[in-house]
Amino acid sequence: MPTLEVGQQLEPLVVESIDVEKMKTMAAILQDPNPIHYDADLVRELGMGDAPVNQGPINLALLMEAVCRFGGGPDSLKRIRVRFLGNVFGGERYECTGKVVAIDGDIAELEVGATANGRPVLAGTASVKLG
Amino acid sequence: MSTSPYAHLVGRKLPGGTYTLPEYLTWLWQDTCLLPQDTEVAHPSLGYFIGMQGVGLSIQEMFDMMGATADSGVMFGETELEFFGTIRPGATFEVEAEVVGVERKEGKRAGVFDKFWFTMRCRDQETGEPVVTCTNTWIFPRKEA
Repeated sequence: MPTLEVGQQLEPLVVESIDVEKMKTMAAILQDPNPIHYDADLVRELGMGDAPVNQGPINLALLMEAVCRFGGGPDSLKRIRVRFLGNVFGGERYECTGKVVAIDGDIAELEVGATANGRPVLAGTASVKLG
Repeated sequence: MSTSPYAHLVGRKLPGGTYTLPEYLTWLWQDTCLLPQDTEVAHPSLGYFIGMQGVGLSIQEMFDMMGATADSGVMFGETELEFFGTIRPGATFEVEAEVVGVERKEGKRAGVFDKFWFTMRCRDQETGEPVVTCTNTWIFPRKEA
């Protein structure tokens, strides 16, 4: 890895269109009965939006992947803490970003976040061990 | 703001148990989340899944514990994962879990809601070593309150 500096940006991870079909698979994997992940009519009834809501674990997994790519692999991620600021809906453009805010030996502390169609939807911090 | 009628749950141990992470579910999870496939090391996002599978309650049963229906709009509020080791596909994990907090809150947009958070500690059964700790905060809307 080239020399690391505070302020360095992570390579953004972008999903151009969040896939509603993936939400259905995840609902089955998690045995998650919450219909906001597959029933657009209910999402509208609840006043939440017009398309199914992506599962938080999918949003988080994509952000974690952006950090893992930066750190050099899945074992590099040591800690991540995020707040879910808003929903990610089917069909939206999802983008994960981050930057280095501190370096302590072989551990980099990151600020990380994600947007859906430009709206902030995840914000948090992560620690990554550099290979 | 009033105390949540579910505040008595704080400190409650959840059943916990063991969970073996099947290789096919590892693959499906990683495919669903658009993640790379690796047969030796599972993606760290599976730390959440392992905890939830070993917690000893289904998501519906956790909703029941908080007096919520599946269609009441329960949302993720916050999550933290700390990793101590590698998640291996096919490994068996021992999971201990407990409710850490329940607070009633009110937001301008969200209205009245209960913030509910719980921690799951996962250990590799073969090595006895901790692998991941996951703390989740869920938001339960309380339109009736």
